[in-house]
Amino acid sequence: MSTLFGLPVALDALIRVLIIVGVMTVVVMGLIYIERKVLARFQQRLGPTRTGPMGLLQSVADALKLVAKEDVRPTNADPWVFELAPFLVFVPTFLGFVVVPFALAWSVRDLDLGLFYILAVSSVNIIGWVMAGWASDNRYAMLGALRAVAQSISYELPLVMALIAVAMVADSLNISEIVRGQAVVPNIVWQPLPFLMFFICMLAEMNRPPFDIPVGESEVVGGPYVEYSGIRWSMFFLAEYASMFIMALLGAAVFLGGSAWPLGEQLGLPWQILLTVVKAGAIIFVVIWTRASFPRLRIDQLMSFSWKLLLPVSFAQIMVNGLILVYDLPYGMSHTLLAVCSAAGVLFVASAINRSVTRPRPRPVLISRSEAAR
Amino acid sequence: MTTEGAAPERSLSGTIWSEVDRALSGITASAERAVLDVIVSIPRDEVVRGLKALKADEALAFDYLRCLTCVDNEAEGMDVVYHLYSTTKRHNVTVKVHLDANDLFVDTATTVWRAANWYEREAAEMFGVRFRGHPDPRTLLMPEDMTDTFPLRKDHPLAEIEVLQGEGIAWGVEE
Amino acid sequence: MTNALQPNSNHEFEVQDIMINMGPQHPATHGVFRMVLAVDGEIVRDLIPHIGYMHRGAEKLSETMDFRQGIGFMDRTEYLAQFNAELAYVMAVEKLMDIEVPERAQWIRMILCELNRLSSHFMFTGAFGADAGVFGTSFIYAFRWREEILDLFEEITGDRLMYAYFRPGGLAWEVTDNFVERVHQVLALSRQGIKDVDGLVTNNEIFKARTQGVGVLTKEQAIDWGTTGPVLRASGVAMDVRRDEPYLFYDQVEFDIPVGQNGDVYDRWCLRIEEMRQSVRIVEQCLTKLQPGPIQPERMPRMLRTPPGEVYIRTEAPRGEFGIYMVSKGGNRPHRLKVRSSCFANLQSLRDMSIGQYVADAVLALGSMDIVLCEVDR
Repeated sequence: MSTLFGLPVALDALIRVLIIVGVMTVVVMGLIYIERKVLARFQQRLGPTRTGPMGLLQSVADALKLVAKEDVRPTNADPWVFELAPFLVFVPTFLGFVVVPFALAWSVRDLDLGLFYILAVSSVNIIGWVMAGWASDNRYAMLGALRAVAQSISYELPLVMALIAVAMVADSLNISEIVRGQAVVPNIVWQPLPFLMFFICMLAEMNRPPFDIPVGESEVVGGPYVEYSGIRWSMFFLAEYASMFIMALLGAAVFLGGSAWPLGEQLGLPWQILLTVVKAGAIIFVVIWTRASFPRLRIDQLMSFSWKLLLPVSFAQIMVNGLILVYDLPYGMSHTLLAVCSAAGVLFVASAINRSVTRPRPRPVLISRSEAAR
Repeated sequence: MTTEGAAPERSLSGTIWSEVDRALSGITASAERAVLDVIVSIPRDEVVRGLKALKADEALAFDYLRCLTCVDNEAEGMDVVYHLYSTTKRHNVTVKVHLDANDLFVDTATTVWRAANWYEREAAEMFGVRFRGHPDPRTLLMPEDMTDTFPLRKDHPLAEIEVLQGEGIAWGVEE
Repeated sequence: MTNALQPNSNHEFEVQDIMINMGPQHPATHGVFRMVLAVDGEIVRDLIPHIGYMHRGAEKLSETMDFRQGIGFMDRTEYLAQFNAELAYVMAVEKLMDIEVPERAQWIRMILCELNRLSSHFMFTGAFGADAGVFGTSFIYAFRWREEILDLFEEITGDRLMYAYFRPGGLAWEVTDNFVERVHQVLALSRQGIKDVDGLVTNNEIFKARTQGVGVLTKEQAIDWGTTGPVLRASGVAMDVRRDEPYLFYDQVEFDIPVGQNGDVYDRWCLRIEEMRQSVRIVEQCLTKLQPGPIQPERMPRMLRTPPGEVYIRTEAPRGEFGIYMVSKGGNRPHRLKVRSSCFANLQSLRDMSIGQYVADAVLALGSMDIVLCEVDR
């Protein structure tokens, strides 16, 4: 394990931790600003324009306001659980930052089980939500927390399966190796279905629309976070945007070729960073686009979508991958087969979604006014 | 039964009154022609029977209750007014029931149309008319604890409301 | 309907329903409205609506206002379909006094009422999209097009929301000189707006999954509860006051009435979108028939005194049948003014719509009724 500039291990670890915290804070504040601006443009409005040039200091202003708020806690809230819940949501997300690569040699730690590590660590925030909902001593919070947990667990499984499918094709769980393996063709070409599932499950894990029923503003106002104010609430929010950033980076690395495609290794470090940023930015843009466009799914529809459609399809994808890869076929043939089967899977999912809501039903009838013969 | 003394006399011939009269056989009903509709007056004790007959009759088929309200005529008592409509035959009629000022009660019409539920609750709390047999006689628009004031009665002045609502607020009261 | 909620506890284990109180302050309740739900997990077992938070004594106050002062009050009662409310009141006075309204005033009234229907339905599409979860986008889209209509109203009447423009006998003052061109502009923009809102939401799979089969009201239930407007028409009853008892000049224009077959929330949405298109069609026909002329009859008394009599005027407001029952004992004030508001009748059926469905569906059912609390409570 090499250390930065040959420093002792402890100091090196400390520096890396500081890098994580520093980068993440800046990135999250930037992401909040970008989301507000992009969402506003989708909705034909402007977004923040007054705080700083083009509203760039809006996140800073928000952060200052939240820090200055009074720390309100319900009288009957369980004190320890109430205090610790934001940490349990917030810290695991930051832990996921450790393995995500920015450039071919640039990640905080290059773990051999990187994919496994990030999946394991990111599911700890479920406990945080339950703690938040329970300790708030509030019916709405409890309802929201239960919904959040049900949703998270349901969408964890297809997420893991989708990433395993890609790991099978790339033959490694080390994220940097997966990135290097895409130097010629990104994995999305061979495995479009896992990318689709990854995207959907990513939205569900982050409680983003259309899967934001736990924090549905028009029903359970705020969900498990309803009793939190000020800094504590901002930690939940920070966690959501941090996980959006990390998942986008992961998606860019595992599916879109990360910093290796199209000419990463040849063109050096700045080009690699640019590639990463552009790809992660594209994923984030589509996430925000989705938020602006879709209504919210109801909890039972959400769960049945995951358990009845996504999970069986992901199992099928893994089996097909295994079948194809076990025979040691030449590269071109095996990968073409993979691509074809996966694309068929995408079409199947799309048609299943469409057919489930387009049942034939009598359309409204137009009766002309002059048909009013008394 | 009530005549508002409408200045131009309008005849009842050719209106729905003949069929209504036939449907209300056995009930002493009278009618007059108002500006747009026919107003049929039914005695208080026959109200539910009459309304059910109007709903069940095949030629009339008044299956839709448009509106139910009261009119306070001060010394002459109150009228409970029902506006009925038929979605199939597309005709309508107004039914009036006269109540004397000292016994303001009438049977509920919720057994005939469920729509009468909230209208009767509102009429009861605004006018003090008791609808016997109503399944849910709580106040609708008024606060739950103000069950002894009837704002829409003519003898309830407008300005006293402020006095009733705020202790010690004396404006609006004429000594 | 009983006084208290009936929690359901006939399972093997002693299970009690949670009581959830939604409102009076709640983002989903469209105003100051309170629903108490008895919920078993996520399924609604009982629902009791509480209204009266916006009761301002409109009917009592109307008895103290003469026939011109009362017009402004009707605006405040139905603040999204103001012209329809004013129209009902003004028509009641005209019928009692037997006043004949000049043709031009009637055509302009018709145009304004239909434009008001458009703006009210735009508001519905925006707010309902927000209920369903497309928060922001559908709201802003719809309101942008609604602003164009409101701009036109401001040019004519001087006010964006409380117009007080109709008078017994006709209109208060003549419309602007470029009225016809402006209405054509607004219609073109509204067509674009209907396409926008329709394209954003109607065929969206998630929206369909959320609204089809939700909040169903059968035909018998709808008639028995006295529902009206798009709620009644979605359940299969072809009742529209403009067609059955035509007022203004609705018997001289061609339009269609959409009638749904399923009685659910999706039908009510589609119905209102279709009604918007029909409104555009009606306004176009009215514009071709608009001729110059007077807008008030030649001899209008300065003090309006009605002969004794009573009348029940019904109009088709965007939310349903808006009725004014006016009793006059002579004099210049109504003896009794009863406002038959469409939302009051529709709200009674909320319980039947929501029992057995999820909490989220109850919210959508309430949204699909498009209530205006001022009208419910008066």
